[in-house]
Amino acid sequence: MLSADNFLHIGLAHYIFLSGILFSFGMIAVLMRKNVIVMLMGIELMLNAVNLSFIAFSKESGNLNGHIMVFFVMTIAAAEAGVGLALAVAIYKKFHEVNIRFFEHLRG
Amino acid sequence: MQVAFSLIDFLLVAPALALFVASCTPLLIKVLCGNQEQNSFATLIYAYVGIVVAAGFTLSMLGVARSAFDGALVFDGISFCTTLIVLLVTAVALTFARDSYSTNPGQFTEATFLTLNAAIGMLTVVWANDLIVTFVGIELFSLSLYVLIAMSMEEKLSKEAAFKYFILGSFASAIMLYGISFIYGTVGSTYLPDLLQASPNLLATNRLFLLGFVLLLVGICFKIAVFPFHSWAPDVYQGAPTPLTAFMATGVKAVSLAFFLRLVASQAFTVEKFWPFVDVLQWLIALTILVGNVGAFRQKSLKRMLAYSSIAHSGYVMIGVVAAGIGGSSMLGAGGVMFYIFSYSIMTAGAFGVLHILEPHADADLTLEDLKGLAREKPWVALTMSILLMSLTGIPPTLGFFGKFFIFSAAIKQGLVWLAVWGVVGSVISVFYYLRPVVAMYMEEPLLRRGVLRLRPLSYFTVAFLGLLVVACGLAAEPVYQAMLSSVSQVF
Repeated sequence: MLSADNFLHIGLAHYIFLSGILFSFGMIAVLMRKNVIVMLMGIELMLNAVNLSFIAFSKESGNLNGHIMVFFVMTIAAAEAGVGLALAVAIYKKFHEVNIRFFEHLRG
Repeated sequence: MQVAFSLIDFLLVAPALALFVASCTPLLIKVLCGNQEQNSFATLIYAYVGIVVAAGFTLSMLGVARSAFDGALVFDGISFCTTLIVLLVTAVALTFARDSYSTNPGQFTEATFLTLNAAIGMLTVVWANDLIVTFVGIELFSLSLYVLIAMSMEEKLSKEAAFKYFILGSFASAIMLYGISFIYGTVGSTYLPDLLQASPNLLATNRLFLLGFVLLLVGICFKIAVFPFHSWAPDVYQGAPTPLTAFMATGVKAVSLAFFLRLVASQAFTVEKFWPFVDVLQWLIALTILVGNVGAFRQKSLKRMLAYSSIAHSGYVMIGVVAAGIGGSSMLGAGGVMFYIFSYSIMTAGAFGVLHILEPHADADLTLEDLKGLAREKPWVALTMSILLMSLTGIPPTLGFFGKFFIFSAAIKQGLVWLAVWGVVGSVISVFYYLRPVVAMYMEEPLLRRGVLRLRPLSYFTVAFLGLLVVACGLAAEPVYQAMLSSVSQVF
């Protein structure tokens, strides 16, 4: 299964694997960390992992749609980062720290 | 490649264009008048004009089944029904938002802009025939809603709710997008008809496609709040201003379910390799109903109680989605789902509307105590609330009963007897917590002196209208159901 060929020729599988790793890191950052900014970075990491897999598939099949989708995803990621940071500022104003451990009003 | 759009394409998307123009006009006037907040009633009128024009365009296109913009958007029965439902709840939510204490009166123009743009996003999802268009629509309404929730007057709860919604919503979108990328990689396109055509074959042979499809379904289940992905719903619904809760709980679920219906129209659930996932989905539905009802049972806050009950309702409607996806007489399931979306939207918007009317100040969180003896002070409000709650329970002459009836009978016809039985058991549990407020309103003495509530005629009128609609459509359930069936028959 593992041969030198796997490491010498970088192919679709490598890219997909890398995007999977990046996506998992993003998920871990969102689920485990308490800092708002780090969570936002996790979301961005997830979206960029998706971009990588779009590009890899697109390159593999020679179909240009994937490239176009990456532009859509990048735009949306930018909008999401804008709204997320605005929310972080609003949270900082009310809670005096950008951390979700003060989120204790809504539960049950 | 020559890309040509005809005039009819623009006519078909005219509802979204009308909403967009109506959303920009008040904002533009505000900016031109030196950032002075204009009369909120005038703003509301602009929004109404936009919504009425949009509804007019939609109705004028009724029965046309065609696609626009090179097949990126599709206009069929599901699109039309859901478009009308979304427009209705938008109008209702805006009416409540103007009167509410929890929305900032100095920023009603912005709230209108964002609400109407959220509605445009919802319409985009409903019309989308390409997964990437669906994704753009989902993000459009989600981003608008995050900002809307955070804009509320209330200080801490709403910020917390907005951030929770933001993180979980973006998380779900990222998962869904990852699924879309796998689907793109295996099918070679994100065009929905291509996907639906390829899915029965690919689901059986291609693991990557299977993973992509499952991730896509997980993303939608997040939006609908199906069991393991439901935990955001109570927090967000409680923390958001009540008018917005009415909007989110109805509009977002309606469009996500419409999209889900389009996905299951391929009958992908009939593929043998996918059966384990269908089994898992059925268990999740059963757990959704259980968690929703037991959760609602335990709540003091009425808003949170309705939030949990909306989780239970998404469980009931998902029974219909499964019934629509497993072959056989799937049309009955799909028609039941459309009918349920309609009835659920009206009932839930109305119930949150009553809570909104009774809220005395910005960060009020009504409990059962606040409803005691309401029938003596405000008999009409109490009557409307009772009708809406009975409809949510599913007591016969109301709309909610027929919603459940059509879903459960479709499920039994499709052989999902255990789910139907489970749904009925859930409804029986729900009687207790839905009727508790009714008992409190009619049979108990008021404990506290209620503050004098400002008279808000538009909200009263809207709630009364929704209550009447519940009774009227309940009495005329058969014609409505037939209309829904014929609307889904173009797809199923």
